[in-house]
Amino acid sequence: MREQRLFAEFASTGSLVEAVRRIRERTAGPIEVNSPYSIPELDDILGLKRSGLPRVCFASGVAGAAVGLALQWFTNAWDYPLNVGGRPLLSWPAWIPVTLELAILGAAIGGVIGLLVATRLPRLWDAAFEIEGFERVTTDRFWLGAAVRAEDAARVREDLAAAGAIRIASVPHE
Amino acid sequence: MTSSPAHRIDTPIVLDTDDDDAQLTDRLLAPLRSKSKVWYALLALSGAGMLLFVATSVYTFVGGIGLWGNNIPVAWAFAITDFVWWIGIGHAGTFISAFLLLLQQDWRASVNRIAEAMTLIAVFNAALFPVLHLGRPWFAYWLLPYPATMAVWPQFKSALPWDFAAILTYFTVSFLFWYTGLVPDFATVRDRAGSRGRRMIYGIFALGWRGSAEHWQHYRIVYGLLAGLATPLVISVHSVVSMDFAITQLPGWHSTIFPPYFVAGALFSGFAMVLTLLLPVRRVFHLEEIVTARHIDAIAKMLLAMSWMLIYSYVCELFIAWYTGDPYERYIFLQARPLGPWAWLYWAMISANVLAPQLLWWRSVRLSPLALFALSLVIQFGMWMERFIIIAGSLSRDFLPSSWADYRPTWVDLGLLFGSIGLFLFAFLLFLRFVPFIPIAEMKELRREIRGTA
Amino acid sequence: MTGNRQPFEHSAVDDAGRVTRRDFLRVLGAGAAVAGLGACVEPPRERILPYTARPPEITPGIATFYATTMILGGFGTGLVVKSREGRPTKVEGNPHHPASLGAAGVFEQASVLELYDPDRVRIPRPREGVGGWDAFARDFALLPASGGTEQGRGLHFLMEPTASPLTNSLIERMRTLHPAVGFTFYSPLAFTGAMEGARHAFGRPLQPVYDLSRAAIIVSLDADVLDADPFCLRYARQFADGRRLRSRRDAMNRLYVAESAFSTTGGMADHRLPLRAGDVADLAKALLAATATPEEIRPAMPLLSQPTPDGPMASWVRAAAADLRAARGQSVIIAGAQQPAVVHAIANALNAILGNIGTTVRFIEPLLPTESPEHALATLAAAIDAGAVDKLVILGGNPSGTAPADLRFGERIRSVRSSAYLGLHHNETALDCKWVLPALHYLESWGDARAYDGTASFVQPLIRPLYDGRSVDEVLAVCGGWPTTNAHALVRELWSTQPDFTVLWARSLERGVIENTASPPVSAALDWAGVLPVLAAEHQRAARDSIEVTFRLDPKVLDGRFANNPWLQELPHPITKLTWGNAAQLGPDTAKRLGIETGDEVSIAFGGGRISIPAIVVPGHAEMSITLPLGYGRSGEERTARDVGVNVYPLRTRNAPYILSDARVRGVKPGSREPLAITQGHFTMQGRMIAREATLAAYRADPRTIAPAHEPAPSLYKPAVKSGEQWAMTIDLSVCTGCSACVIACQAENNIPVVGREGVLKRREMHWLRVDRYYTGAAGTARVISQPMACQHCEKAPCEYVCPVNATVHSPDGLNEMVYNRCVGTRFCSNNCPYKVRRFNWFDYGSGIPEVLWMQRNPDVTVRERGVMEKCTYCVQRIRRAGIQAATERRALRDGEVVTACQQACPTRAITFGSLDDPESEVSRSRRQERSYEVLGELGTEPRTRYLARIFNPSPDLTV
Repeated sequence: MREQRLFAEFASTGSLVEAVRRIRERTAGPIEVNSPYSIPELDDILGLKRSGLPRVCFASGVAGAAVGLALQWFTNAWDYPLNVGGRPLLSWPAWIPVTLELAILGAAIGGVIGLLVATRLPRLWDAAFEIEGFERVTTDRFWLGAAVRAEDAARVREDLAAAGAIRIASVPHE
Repeated sequence: MTSSPAHRIDTPIVLDTDDDDAQLTDRLLAPLRSKSKVWYALLALSGAGMLLFVATSVYTFVGGIGLWGNNIPVAWAFAITDFVWWIGIGHAGTFISAFLLLLQQDWRASVNRIAEAMTLIAVFNAALFPVLHLGRPWFAYWLLPYPATMAVWPQFKSALPWDFAAILTYFTVSFLFWYTGLVPDFATVRDRAGSRGRRMIYGIFALGWRGSAEHWQHYRIVYGLLAGLATPLVISVHSVVSMDFAITQLPGWHSTIFPPYFVAGALFSGFAMVLTLLLPVRRVFHLEEIVTARHIDAIAKMLLAMSWMLIYSYVCELFIAWYTGDPYERYIFLQARPLGPWAWLYWAMISANVLAPQLLWWRSVRLSPLALFALSLVIQFGMWMERFIIIAGSLSRDFLPSSWADYRPTWVDLGLLFGSIGLFLFAFLLFLRFVPFIPIAEMKELRREIRGTA
Repeated sequence: MTGNRQPFEHSAVDDAGRVTRRDFLRVLGAGAAVAGLGACVEPPRERILPYTARPPEITPGIATFYATTMILGGFGTGLVVKSREGRPTKVEGNPHHPASLGAAGVFEQASVLELYDPDRVRIPRPREGVGGWDAFARDFALLPASGGTEQGRGLHFLMEPTASPLTNSLIERMRTLHPAVGFTFYSPLAFTGAMEGARHAFGRPLQPVYDLSRAAIIVSLDADVLDADPFCLRYARQFADGRRLRSRRDAMNRLYVAESAFSTTGGMADHRLPLRAGDVADLAKALLAATATPEEIRPAMPLLSQPTPDGPMASWVRAAAADLRAARGQSVIIAGAQQPAVVHAIANALNAILGNIGTTVRFIEPLLPTESPEHALATLAAAIDAGAVDKLVILGGNPSGTAPADLRFGERIRSVRSSAYLGLHHNETALDCKWVLPALHYLESWGDARAYDGTASFVQPLIRPLYDGRSVDEVLAVCGGWPTTNAHALVRELWSTQPDFTVLWARSLERGVIENTASPPVSAALDWAGVLPVLAAEHQRAARDSIEVTFRLDPKVLDGRFANNPWLQELPHPITKLTWGNAAQLGPDTAKRLGIETGDEVSIAFGGGRISIPAIVVPGHAEMSITLPLGYGRSGEERTARDVGVNVYPLRTRNAPYILSDARVRGVKPGSREPLAITQGHFTMQGRMIAREATLAAYRADPRTIAPAHEPAPSLYKPAVKSGEQWAMTIDLSVCTGCSACVIACQAENNIPVVGREGVLKRREMHWLRVDRYYTGAAGTARVISQPMACQHCEKAPCEYVCPVNATVHSPDGLNEMVYNRCVGTRFCSNNCPYKVRRFNWFDYGSGIPEVLWMQRNPDVTVRERGVMEKCTYCVQRIRRAGIQAATERRALRDGEVVTACQQACPTRAITFGSLDDPESEVSRSRRQERSYEVLGELGTEPRTRYLARIFNPSPDLTV
C-alpha cells in the first residue's frame, strides 16, 4: 500500500508536544521530532527507550585500563626486564597513573564512537533537508515528521493544523 | 537594553536580554561575521609572537639546548616552567565545563566554550615544550611503547611517560567534549550561512545534525558522560605533572603535598586566564547581556577561593619543611627561597599570588572589569614565577654545596616564553572568529528554562 | 702560518690540522716500527710501512705500552705510554721509576694532548729567505774541519737547564771543540736556593733528596713538596704512606706547613700557619732557636737572640719544635724552592742538628747548574749589549716571555744579528727570533734523562714525528756540524760505553729505567762559618704595614709552557677552583683593607711594570700578602693560550724574582674584566656531613662520632640479583691532596670534551670526575678538605628510575650504566642525582675540534653526541677488557687487575677499586674500616663509592 511522509513546522514547543500526542493516536509509525535544543519531556511522549551508551562507555573504559596495565607489565616486567634503580620489576604502584589515564581515554573515545553509531552520524544528506524552511529547525522552529497511510493523510493534516502547525509539507515515501 | 552590571548584581542574572530565539541566535552568530578592527590588530600582533616562537624553536632544534641558559645543576628551567604554566592554565576550562555542569551551575553555560577552547590551546602549547626541551627531540617518539629494533621499551617508573599519557588523554577528552558540544551549533551556523561555501564547510563540521529528538537523547547522555570523565582529569593531569617533581628526592621537589598544591595553582592561574580572555571579548563583541556581571563575579570569587587553597599549600610547605628538621629541606624553604639570590622573585611571587588576590574581597573590585583584568595578569605572572622558583630555584641549591650554581636565561628562553603566548592568542583569535564561542543551543535551552515556554 | 710555504717533507698533518689518510698510515706504520724512529735530515722512506703489512707488535684493537721519560724542569719522570694503532693516547706512571712510582701528575697526563696540539711549529722557517733544516745548518752549523779555538766565537746557546746525560755530553763536546761557544741556562722552573743554602751550610752546593716515608714530623717552610717539586709524585706517595690508616692503631706522620698562598701541601697540613713568604726567614730563625739546644747552636745564639714572635706563630713554633726534638732522626725540615738561601741554610742546619741527614734527607752532587738562572740570563744580556753575540740559538723555553722584566730580553734577542728558536709553539720568543725551528715532543724523540735523584732513563718515541721537528740534542749536533745528528744514534753512542750495552739497552727501554744510576749520597757536615753571615744579613722583607707580592708557578700551566693545553686551562685550580685564567690570591682581611672582593681588581706597580689583575679571596691566605700565579696573559701565537688571564711577568725582576717586598698595590672596584670562571663558588659545607674529618685522637677515642657505621637504609624492595663481580670504589680523604691528576687522567681516558671559558661560566663543565674543595675551621685558620666526586654508582640509583626510555640502567655487576644511543636528553636523571655528577652535551662538543686532536681519542670509549647525558662509568672499558682477558685465560679476575684511570694516576694511592664479591679484596677491606662512610647515605641511594673520613693529626699541645 502507499504511504506518504508528512512534515509540520511549529513555532513553539507547546504546540509541538500537542501535535505529537495527536499523531501518536493516529499512527504507530515512527515519528521524528526535530528541535533547535534538547526537550527532555519528549522522550516519554515519543516512547524512546533508554540509551545504552553508558554501558558502552563503561566497557571501553575497562578495556582501556586493561590495555594500560597489560602494556606496562609486558614491557617493563616481562619482555625486557631490567634492573632500574634497584626497584622491583613488578612495581605496580608506578603503573597506576598510566592505567587511570588510559581508562578515561578509552571511555571517552568509546562513548563518542557509540554516539555516532547510535545516531547514524555523520551523514551529509537527509530527506528533511529537502523541505523548504526546514533550516530554521536549528534556530527557532520545531518540526515533526511522520509516515502515514495515504487515506489518513487528510485527517493527520487537520490534526497538525489544529495543533498549531504553521506549515505542512509532504514528500512521497518509498 | 544595554545596562551597567552594577545595579543588576543583586538578582542573579545569567541571561540579561529579552531576545527571542531568532534574535538570540543572530546575536550569538554576529561575531562570526564581525569585521572588528581590534581583532585584526590583535591577530597581527599575536601572529608576530607566533613567528617568534617558530623562529626560536627552529633555532633550538638546529643549535641544541646549549642555546638556552640551562646548566648543571639547573638542567630544567624556563621550558619546563612554561610547560607547567600552560598546562595549569588549561585546567580552568575543564573545571568550568565539566565540574560546573555536573554541579548544575547554570551560569557556566555562556562561558564554558571559551574556557574549553582556552584549555585546548593551552594544552597544545604546553605539549610543545617537553618535546622541544629534549636533548634529541627527533627521538621524542621513543617515549611511546612501540616494538623498536633496539627491543627496548619506555620505562614506566618514570613520571615522564605518565605525563605523556596524561596530556594525551587530557587533550583528546577535552577535544571530544568541546567538539560534541559544538555539533548542534555548527548545524545552526550551517543553516544560517549566507554563502554556499560556508554552508558546505560548516555542514561538514555539523556532521549532518538535524536536532532529532532521539539524537538529542543520546547526545545529552554522552555529553554528561564526557563531563563526568573530564572531571577526574582536572585532578589527575596536574597531579601527574606535579609528580615529575614529587617522585624525585630533590629538596623543594620531594613533597607529598604537590598534587593538590599543583591542582590548586593550576585552577588559580586558569581562572585568571579565563578573565583575561573573557573581559575583552565581552567588551569587543558587546556581549554584556550574555556574559553578565554575574559570571564575572562568580569567576572572581572562584579566584579568591583558589588563592586561599594556594596560601594553605604555601604555609603547609613551609611548616613541613621546618617540622621535618631535614637540613636540606629547611635550607631550601627557609633560607634559599626567602633570602637567597632570587629572594626578590620569591617575594614578588608572594605579593602576586597571596596579597593581590585579597583585593577580591571588595565587591567594587569584583565588578570593575579593568581591575579584574589587571589582577588576572598579575596572578598569571605570579604563577609563572612560582613554578620557576620551584623548578630552577630548588635545582640551584641542592644537596652538595659544591655543585650549587645560579641560572641566567638567554634571549632564546625568553623568545620561547613570549612566543608561546603569541601562539596562544593567535589560535584563540581564530577560534573567536570561526567558531560560535558561546553555545547557542545551550543558551536557548537556558532561556527556555528561565522564561518558560513562550 | 704565513710567509713562503715550504713543503712539509715529513709532516703528516697540514696547516689546518687535518690528517691525510695516507700520511696518517705512514705515521702509523712508522710509529709502530719503533726502531729507526729518529728523524734524520733525510728520512728513510723505505721504512714507511703500509698498514696492510702490519708490524708484529700491533694488533688492531689491542693497546701496546712503551716506557719513556718526560723531562720537566730538567728532571725526568718515567712513564708508560699507551699506544693504539700507533697513536699515543694515554700516559701512565712507570712503577719502576723513582720519580713516578706508578703515578702521573697533571702535566704528565696532559702532555699527550700537547703532542697533538694543532698550534705546534711545523716546519723550520726563517723570517725571510729559504727554510728547511739544510738552510738552517748553512746559517748556524760550525765546520769542525777548519778548526781553531776561535771557531764559533759569537755563537751562543740559550737553553733550559737539564740533567740529561746526552745533552750535557754534547754540551761538553761542543765546549771542548769550540771553547768560544757560549752557553746560558735559564728557566723559571730552575731554583738554586736549595743549593745556595747547602753551600752556606756545608761549604759546597748540594742537592737535597728527602725520604718522607721515614719522617714522623715534616716541617715545610713555604715548600709545596706534594705538588710543585721535581720529585713531588714520589714525595706525595711517601707522605701518604706515612699517614695511611688501615686501623685505628696505625701511626700517622704530622705535617707542619708555614706558607703564604694556600698550596695543596698546605691543604694537607695538620698545622698550617699562614705567613708572608718574606717572613718565613724569621720563622725559620725562631724555629731554629726553639728546637736546638743552646750548645747545638752556640755560634748562632747572638744572631738568633731576638724576641720570639707572639700569636699563632709562637704556638706553631713551640709545637713544631717540641715535635722535632722528640723525633730526632725521624723528622725533616724542608725549605721552599723560591725561598732565599738563608731559609735553606737554616733548614739544612736544623736537619743536621736533628740528625736527619742520612735518614730522612740525603745530599747528592747537583745535577743542574748552580748559578741563579736570573743572573745567568743577565750575563747573557750584557754580552749581547757588548755585541759579543751574533748567533743566538735558543733551545726550548720561552725567555722572551719569562725573563725578568728589567732585562727586556725580547728586545735584546731581536737585536742579535741572527737568532733561532727551537720550540713546540710560536710563542713570544719564536716571534722575536729570525729562525723558528719545530721541536720534537718527547713522545716523538729519542734521548735520555736523569730523575731528581740521578736515576737515568731513556726517552723513547712512540710515534713518528708529526712534523719536521728535531730534538735539542739533534740541533746541538747539527750546529756542531758533526756527522751523526740522529738522536737515536747519539744516545746509543753515548751509552754504548757501558758494560754489555745491548742487554742494558733492551732492558732499560723495557723497564723505563737504567738500573743503579742514582747518584750516591755525599757526606754533608754542618759548618757554622758559612751559615752565620746569611743569618746576620738582613734579608728582603716587606714592612709590617705594606703588602708583599709573591710570584708562584701556576699549578696548571707552570711558567706558561702549558698555557696552550686546553685540558690544563680548564682544570680547576686545586684551591681556588679557578679555570681559564689567573687571579691575584689574597686573604679576606687584605681584601677588606683594599676595599675589594672576589672579581674586583688589584692594580700593582713595581719598577717600570704595572699590571691590573682580578682578585680572588682565599680564606687561609696570609694577610698583607698577594700571590700572583705566573704563566697567563700569553702574547704568542698559540690560539688557546693567547690573552687568557693576566701576564704578571712585567713585575718580575732579576733581583726579586719570587718575593716582591716594595710594590705599590691598590684595589680597583668594580673589576672591569669578565667574571672569573670558577667551578665552585661556595666555600663551606653548610654544616652538612659531606667531606667528614676528625683528629686522630678523636677517631681513636670513638670512630662512630665522625663516620657512623653504615646501616643499610630500610627498604621495601628486595635486593636486586647480583651475579659475578660487584664493582666498588673507596676514596681515602686522609691522603687525597686534591692535586687533580685524576681529573686529567679521566679526561684523557674517556674522551671528555673541553667547554672553554664560556662553558665554565655557564656552569657546563664536562669533567666526569671533579674535586670538590671545602673550607673548614675559622677564617683565620681555615683548612681545606678536597673530595673527589664522580658517579657514586648507587645500587638504588635515583637517576635510573626517572629515565623514561631506559637509557640509564643497572648492570648485574653493579655499574650504573649510561646508554648514550638510547638517551633522548630529558636531563631528568641529572635533576634527581644528589651528587650532580651527570654531564650533558649542550652542544656537539665531539666534532668541533681540529682533526689532529682526534688522534688522542681513546677508541674504546664512545665520543658522545649532542643532547645526551654522560658520566663516570668506573672505566667500564677497562673492566670489560680485563674480563675478556681473564675469560680467554679461563680464570677469574684477580683483585687489583682492574685499575680505573683516576686510581692509576693518583700519586697518593687514595683511590681503591675492586669487587665486593671477594670479601678479602682491597676495596672490601677498606669498606670495613670504621671511618668508611657514604656521602648522603641517609638518602638510601646505597652508593658503591665510599669515602674514608679524613683523619688529621694535630699536636696534642696545640689546638687546631
